[in-house]
Amino acid sequence: MSANVSETSAAVPIKPGSGFWIFLIAVLAGGCSAGNGEGLDISGRPLEEGSQLALAPTLASIQSNVFDPYCAVCHSGANAPLGLRLDAASSFTNLVSVRSREASSLFRVAPGNPDQSYLIRKLEGTASTGEQMPLGGPPIPQSTIDYVRQWITDGAQPAATAPNNSAPIIVSLSLSPDSVIGSLPSEISVGFDKDLDASTINEQTFTLLRSGGDGVFGDGNDVAVMAVSVGLSPGNPRLAFMDLTGAPAVADLYRLTLAGSGVNMILDLEGRALDGDFSGNFPTGDGVEGGNFVISFEVMGLQATLDAIQASIFSVSCATAGCHSGPPGTTLPTGMDLTSADASFSSLVNVASIEVPQLDRVKPGDADSSYLVQKLDGTSAIGQRMPRGGPYLDQESMDAIRLWINNGAER
Amino acid sequence: MNMRLACLLMVLGSVLPGVSRAEPYLAVQKGLKCGSCHTAPSGGGKRTAYGDAFAQVELPARTLSMGDMWTGDLGKYLAVGGDLRGGWGRVEVPGQPRSSSTELEEFLAYAELRAVPRYLSLYVDARLRPDKPYFREQYARLKLPNGQWSIRIGKFFLPFGWRLQDDTAFIRQVGGINYNTPDNGAELEFERGRWTAQLAVTRGTAGGPETDSGKQYSLRVAQVRPSWQIGTSLNLNDARVGDRKMLNIFGGLKTGPVAWLAEVDYIRDESFALAPRRSRTSLVEGNYGYRKGHNLKLTFEWYDPDSQVSEDEQIRTSAVWEYTPFQFVQARIGLRKFDGIPQNPAQNREEAFAQIHLTF
Repeated sequence: MSANVSETSAAVPIKPGSGFWIFLIAVLAGGCSAGNGEGLDISGRPLEEGSQLALAPTLASIQSNVFDPYCAVCHSGANAPLGLRLDAASSFTNLVSVRSREASSLFRVAPGNPDQSYLIRKLEGTASTGEQMPLGGPPIPQSTIDYVRQWITDGAQPAATAPNNSAPIIVSLSLSPDSVIGSLPSEISVGFDKDLDASTINEQTFTLLRSGGDGVFGDGNDVAVMAVSVGLSPGNPRLAFMDLTGAPAVADLYRLTLAGSGVNMILDLEGRALDGDFSGNFPTGDGVEGGNFVISFEVMGLQATLDAIQASIFSVSCATAGCHSGPPGTTLPTGMDLTSADASFSSLVNVASIEVPQLDRVKPGDADSSYLVQKLDGTSAIGQRMPRGGPYLDQESMDAIRLWINNGAER
Repeated sequence: MNMRLACLLMVLGSVLPGVSRAEPYLAVQKGLKCGSCHTAPSGGGKRTAYGDAFAQVELPARTLSMGDMWTGDLGKYLAVGGDLRGGWGRVEVPGQPRSSSTELEEFLAYAELRAVPRYLSLYVDARLRPDKPYFREQYARLKLPNGQWSIRIGKFFLPFGWRLQDDTAFIRQVGGINYNTPDNGAELEFERGRWTAQLAVTRGTAGGPETDSGKQYSLRVAQVRPSWQIGTSLNLNDARVGDRKMLNIFGGLKTGPVAWLAEVDYIRDESFALAPRRSRTSLVEGNYGYRKGHNLKLTFEWYDPDSQVSEDEQIRTSAVWEYTPFQFVQARIGLRKFDGIPQNPAQNREEAFAQIHLTF
């Protein structure tokens, strides 16, 4: 509606009444006062509860220095936003290997990978959705967030430690059990609650099978998926990796087994076998030493849709912090926002490349003329091949992107 | 005020039970209900035709002539609205470098599709910017022919106390019922004379997926008089992690040019490991409309995180000047001081801000 500006109503002064002075007196008198904090920790809890810890890359310390004082005001109790409770009893199970509600392609905390952890993006203000946390408060200092990053890098171990005489258990997994995913991940990471005997972390104790296409295991046509390597993280003897780089991402039902029984077993440094019995929630264990950890998941195969490409490629390989992480704009690389399917669509389809303005990043129906494809297959006239520094996309991923573009690059 | 606008206000005022804007103090100042200015009976979101008229005539220092008045209606079946907020803010935390930022806080758009005008409507409240767009509310609302009862089903903000614009106010943040936590379910609404009431039954996951069989029950009842309002809210969240019960009393009083708001909340949360935790929050706010288009807002808030722990209380004091030079535009300049335990620097920060609010 257009405005034909002219003044039609003069300002009308209103005389102050006694209410204003009553109000001023009431406020300035301040009938209530703030607590002096005597005998309390940074979270306002009594010191005798014993929760105050020095800053360190452990969940107990992060709980004490970050979650309790800054987050639990809102993220506690039955009304916690999005059900995300961050009190001491809940933070581990609600964060580690749990998919974000706002960005479902990411875990809130992805063990071993802080850049791919939505918690870090929310704390650092680089998330694709919603406001930086703590909501309405000053950002947490980066020096404190760095401890959270280190905790995640170290495998995102839980705060509670089991008695020293108990068997090792699994506390986190980079895959959601029974999930359906677009393609086989290049790596599976597993967090334990105790330091492990590195000699027992190998291809005999970590096995991955696929069903041979019939969805049934043990009927003679199962196929073993060979890992490039299996081993402990060099800096964290409680975090194990199964490197699946280059393994064919065949659409099938997969079964991951970590051995806690049999000839070859996962052992801790005290020689105790993994208590891997799994009831559906982490941590594992039935209190009795031994027992295999067995979960299954389904690989759909990479579909030529933006959602699938987003989940399997853009979110994993492109939208890492400081790269194509948004917000949208003309500054590369962050301005080319690939953090969600919607953002990727807005940043790519029919959008002229900044490096080569004659080409659209994605030209619907014409993969060969799309600058995105040229950047990914290393034929672009300017700049480095993407993902920067590699590893570069496999043929299946490139085929899916090409097919999505040639099919019209639809949202 | 030109005659056309004045007539429209009078006509609308005579058929609507009351009016307010984004801030409840206006409802107290005018002795009207929240649902008069807003599509939702407990306030917030899209404005009604009367709300739009009020925002163009009553609120600003002066009204610029624009020909036809904006009512939000795009024909008989569709009405829209929006809010855009942005500005500058500075935060000073003891022991940390001062930080400031300029940003677009939010761009909200509302649409109401009147499938059967006056009786059945579909409503969406979308947050378009910044970041990825998402729906804050989306529901269907059926109003019964007697005009007193309505029911809405979908995702909506829960009724509880004063629906302040400021989600970081203790009564909004600590209670956990605010613009960030819409829930899915159904709400029964009652409007008759001086009374307004809402009863909602929702998932109880604050926007998250259903996690148990327990539900959240929210009841808000208020009586609205020309110079005062009083109400109470109850909330019970029957959750697997532990029940959470909340009770509040809220009210408003008009004394000359000052509209007062007050609210006291009590929260009992059984989800904590050691023992149930009892929290209390309160707010007293005075709005001094010393001149048309100008409002001086002084707010005092108090928060006791655990009534069984001494010396953990927090205070938040705000002074905000709101200036609405003409319709659709409001400027806000404010200072806010937090006082809390010295161990936690963030509880002792100071904030300064200047904002622009565009509304239509």
